Amino acid sequence: MTLRVVLADDTLLFRAALAELLGSNGCEIVGQAGDGDRLRALVAETRPDLAVVDIRMPPGHHLEGLRAATDIRRTHPEVGVLLLSQYLEATHLADLVGSVARGVGYLLKDRASGPDFLDAVKQIAAGGCAFDPDVVTAMLNRPSRRDRLDTLTPREREVLSLMAQGLSNAAITTRLYLTTRTVETHIRNIFQRLELPAELEHHRRVLAVLAYLRSN
Amino acid sequence: MFGAAVLMASASGRHETSTTTLFSGMVGGLYLTAGVIASVRQPANRVGLLMVLVGIAWFAEDMQVSIDPVTHTAGLFVRSASTALLVHLVLAFPSGQLRSRVDRVLVTIAYVTVFGLIPLSTPFFRTYTKNLLLIRYEEWLPGSVNVVQVAVATAVVAVLLVRWITSTRPARRVLAPVFVTGLLGAVESVVGPVLGEGVPWAHEVLSDIGHLAVLLLPLAFLAGVWRVRLGRTTVADLLVRLPRASPTELQDLLATALGDPSLRVGYYRADHADYVDREGRPLVIPSYQAVTVVERDGRRVAALVHDPALRDDRHVLEAVTSAAALELDNQRLAAEVRAQLVEVRASRARIVAAGDDQRRRVERDLHDGAQQQLVTVALLLRLAQQQLDSSPDRDAKLADYLRRSAAGLEDALRELRELARGIHPAVLSEAGLLAALRALAARSPRPIELREVPLPALPAPVEATAYFVAAEAVTNALKYASARTIRIEVRHDKDELHLEVTDDGVGGADLTRGTGLLGLRDRASALDGELVVRSSTGAGTSVHVVLPLEPA
Repeated sequence: MTLRVVLADDTLLFRAALAELLGSNGCEIVGQAGDGDRLRALVAETRPDLAVVDIRMPPGHHLEGLRAATDIRRTHPEVGVLLLSQYLEATHLADLVGSVARGVGYLLKDRASGPDFLDAVKQIAAGGCAFDPDVVTAMLNRPSRRDRLDTLTPREREVLSLMAQGLSNAAITTRLYLTTRTVETHIRNIFQRLELPAELEHHRRVLAVLAYLRSN
Repeated sequence: MFGAAVLMASASGRHETSTTTLFSGMVGGLYLTAGVIASVRQPANRVGLLMVLVGIAWFAEDMQVSIDPVTHTAGLFVRSASTALLVHLVLAFPSGQLRSRVDRVLVTIAYVTVFGLIPLSTPFFRTYTKNLLLIRYEEWLPGSVNVVQVAVATAVVAVLLVRWITSTRPARRVLAPVFVTGLLGAVESVVGPVLGEGVPWAHEVLSDIGHLAVLLLPLAFLAGVWRVRLGRTTVADLLVRLPRASPTELQDLLATALGDPSLRVGYYRADHADYVDREGRPLVIPSYQAVTVVERDGRRVAALVHDPALRDDRHVLEAVTSAAALELDNQRLAAEVRAQLVEVRASRARIVAAGDDQRRRVERDLHDGAQQQLVTVALLLRLAQQQLDSSPDRDAKLADYLRRSAAGLEDALRELRELARGIHPAVLSEAGLLAALRALAARSPRPIELREVPLPALPAPVEATAYFVAAEAVTNALKYASARTIRIEVRHDKDELHLEVTDDGVGGADLTRGTGLLGLRDRASALDGELVVRSSTGAGTSVHVVLPLEPA
């Protein structure tokens, strides 16, 4: 099944290269925009599976992309949104994700040329999450979270971080060279220590973790 | 002499109670005396002349009281002469000039009535003493003359009320005694004829009020004259206190002496040909204020910006300015130095702000320019890799070159990002100081405890300075002090932002030994703030910066 994707970035060369990459990897580019307003119109018109949005766009080159992405998540909750940025800030993540962490991602622009990018795109289009490892680390490091997160073992922290990046149990197993059983135990422990309900499924766990990270 | 003669001639016909010889003599005498004093004090002001004329008219009116038919008949011609002059006097007070067309029309009507209509109506007027010129009594005549008088008096009351309401405080101070008595008299003139003689006791009371007002009006003017004297004692008091006055007190002393709280002192700067206030800031002169230039030995030293109404009180104004000229000249030099200081401070703050702007621009250029292009190149490399991987005869060497290029590019991008953040973190301008400090804490390899409170909107230079101080202190703590824990505390009160970074490292930090903190201290003081470093060997380091939220 091909993914229908809208691209929003005012740098033509980057946008063209990104369109080519996605186009040759199972996506159909149904529209391209150079600013936030055009993006909103395109999404309303084409109802894509996913919108890939640069955080800085005209006219102000400030946070127009973030604002457009937040709007789209509110008006078209079924459309996945992947926000790309030259640098990462945890503050922006909270604004973007809002109260429902479904079908949303926030990645450094450099990741587009990395190995996990296409996986992240598919994950978000399917209603999952993908957050940049850097920004996840930053959130885990936030002072207000420390007390409770300090009770996690280093290995559990590692697992939690990968969960937040949108990796499945199987992917975490491969990444950390562990057995499925061990990973499941780690996750159960994490939920217990963070006092999260344990019976949630795959991507919902990430959402729950993020919800916890955002809370208080 | 004339007054005395009239009093003698009219004594025979006087009523026992109200229009006694004593009362008439006092009123007329007071007008004459006050008028003469006023004319001597201010020869150019017509008020004095008008008062003298009122006095004369007052005595002339009294001729009608005489029982000698000839004197009585002559008196009937001028039987209301003083009222027209009084209307003129009240409206022209204190400058002697009639200010508006309404004033002039009213005064003209009053004169025409009193010196035209009333003499013309004399042959048709019946009185107790024989009117030698009586032709025929016309009953409607006294009534219509009354109507005109009531109309003019009502208009005068209205004009006085409007003038009072629109007056400023110093102006009211000058007007008060005369206006109050004037209003009293005018009210009596309106109500008296309306009631007529139908209600005897009310007529009596009103007549007494009218007489009282007439008696008080010259006294009110004398009070005005006296108040100028009082002003002079204030000047004497001012002279005693001036040499010990600070610039703030000097302005307040002058404001008190002149009764004008809106008064401002401007010190003259000859090299700029402008005025600065007591804090050294350029003086703004509101368009509704008047300016009196103060000179000393022919040199301009200062200007008083004050309520235009003070000009009605020229004696006091001149006395005060000449008394204060020496002290104003002395303080002018201090004001000039303060003005220079204000300029230097402002220019330092501008330099900091300009530097920040430049850093922000460089950061943006890096992100949107070089970095954007490098990211695009990385993406193109990835496409090349993909193309290569899918071709049947894959060149392993080429694939390796591409992989190494991509890795190098990735490192370059990371470094570029670090560089941009060091120049000016984007999060600072996008999400504020707290977000930037949280990001700083999150990046730190050692735990940083951030104690924060919600902050108001901060001026950009304050925000940037606080952030750079925190970043520098954290870097020092990690790099040189081998600190285990670091605490950043941000708080603010009404006018200051406080940021303190404390660590438990080796201590012994010295501001003067070439750390980045020295530059940051300059930066803080350019914003009128202060940076203090406390550090003793083995006891950790604390860097505390205080920044005013409002530029001084």
